[in-house]
Amino acid sequence: MNAITAEKMVLVLIGCITFLIVALLFTILGIMFLNGLPAMHGGFLFEESRDFGRAGGIFYQSMGTLLLMGVAVLWSLPVALGSVLFQTEYLNTGKLKTLLTQLTYILNATPTILFGLVGYLLFGVYLDTGVSWVTGSLILAVMILPTLQVSIREAVEALPEKYREAGMSLGLSRPTQIWRIILPQSLYGIVTGVLLGLARAAGETAAIMFTATTFSGIQLPQSFSDPVPTLQTHILVLAQEAANPESIAQAWGAGLVLLGLVFMLTLAAWAFRTRVVMESEL
Amino acid sequence: MQAIFGTRQWEPVGWVFAAMNFIFLSCAMGLGIFLVVESIPILRSEGLGFWLGENWWVGESFGALPMICGSLLVTGLAIFLVLPVALSGALFTSEYLSPSFRRRVKGVMELLAGVPGIIYGLLGVSFLTVGVKDALNLLDGNTLFTAGLLLAIMILPTVLTLSEDALHSVSSEFREAAESLGLTKLQTALRVVIPQSLPGIVGAVLLVIGRAMGETIAVMLVVGSLDRVPGFNLFVSGQTIPSKLGREAAEALGSGLHWNALMGLGLTLFLIVAILTFSGHLFIKRSSQ
Repeated sequence: MNAITAEKMVLVLIGCITFLIVALLFTILGIMFLNGLPAMHGGFLFEESRDFGRAGGIFYQSMGTLLLMGVAVLWSLPVALGSVLFQTEYLNTGKLKTLLTQLTYILNATPTILFGLVGYLLFGVYLDTGVSWVTGSLILAVMILPTLQVSIREAVEALPEKYREAGMSLGLSRPTQIWRIILPQSLYGIVTGVLLGLARAAGETAAIMFTATTFSGIQLPQSFSDPVPTLQTHILVLAQEAANPESIAQAWGAGLVLLGLVFMLTLAAWAFRTRVVMESEL
Repeated sequence: MQAIFGTRQWEPVGWVFAAMNFIFLSCAMGLGIFLVVESIPILRSEGLGFWLGENWWVGESFGALPMICGSLLVTGLAIFLVLPVALSGALFTSEYLSPSFRRRVKGVMELLAGVPGIIYGLLGVSFLTVGVKDALNLLDGNTLFTAGLLLAIMILPTVLTLSEDALHSVSSEFREAAESLGLTKLQTALRVVIPQSLPGIVGAVLLVIGRAMGETIAVMLVVGSLDRVPGFNLFVSGQTIPSKLGREAAEALGSGLHWNALMGLGLTLFLIVAILTFSGHLFIKRSSQ
């Protein structure tokens, strides 16, 4: 066997491996559709769950997931935006900036269960707020903070230096420069960050399972101290009843909805990013 | 102070931004401080024995060794399984695919990386545990091996995409020089591109190990949740640090030493992940210089 044949064989091998890896996505999608679609009867999305999740729909679970992720981004966005602008526009030294960037990375890598634990302790014991959707959204807000920061920072730092110089030469004050130049020009980074943050919050289970959620009994929260049911924890409970086919069928249905939500958010972030990149190349 | 903040006067808005930055700082520091403060009681009562003890009996002794070993075994297995596959994929994507196909592969990886852990958990509970049980003729499919296998599938897209970034960032001058010397494309990849991008790949792998160590939900559902030092037998039920935290935190809150012991486990996990992440970024930064 000569070297050229050997090389071709290696090429075919790693090509096949790559193909199989890409096929993994479609396998997972296929499995989700095959198992999830049977649960999707007419009112699955708009009925409340009955009989401990074995029948009915997932309306309040979906609402809970949307509520938690939406409010989490509301908390997180001002902090992410403010801290990034402070670091890029107001701080002069590299050292402090590097330190803060490292902190963002470490916060980003922190296992999500730890956010759940510390949140559980802080809110459950020290502040005694009990299990509540506000607590859950605050915990998720801290968890997605690095996601937003990284996106916004990338967009702000990618601005050409001449934009800032042009602003300065017009004698703009720093707030005006931020408001008129930096924010409009880095809007795509902010939107991308928000969408990715929403997707991350939607898929998170470990951080909220002690602090914000309940399995059944609650519909829409009536006050700030009520828990909500969510898709993630709904699946978690049902998946542990693996012996019960009705529970598992409902879990697949809820899983398909959750996966659809996360994929839509990711694709939207992605479409937004590529569209902007294409515009800037013109 | 001037050196840090510059000589320009701050406007009121500047103080708002500073406050936001302070909130970010206190969230990040607060997390670490809470973990340390809350684990002091258990470290005081068990000392080093906390990390070396083999028995976790609530009320008697708290030994974290079963969870630490479980975490290391599961993560180690996942990395061992995923590396050859992901690196082959990365090499092919970076060196052989056209730019448009490369973008598509990267897009698919980005989508896959976003699949929530609970979905993998559901897939694991429904198929993997049964598959492992039947294929290996075990009594129980909830084993460390199952968890490692599931984790390998979960981290595959991230390993691929990060190591592909490292391979792709090698300057094309190196490739051209190698090919002008008569090296084939594969030889160029193996002898020039991979050695050049090695720090980046190592960094990527360290980051992913950190991510894998902290995965809770999916692992918790398939690992079997049995506290015992597994030795080197992967085909038994076990426990990882996050799965232990996920299983026991709800019952332990407010119950004194039991809760402190869980926070001690959390601190251990946090330190491991922080070190892995820090060194991972160090490697990546070095490779991009």
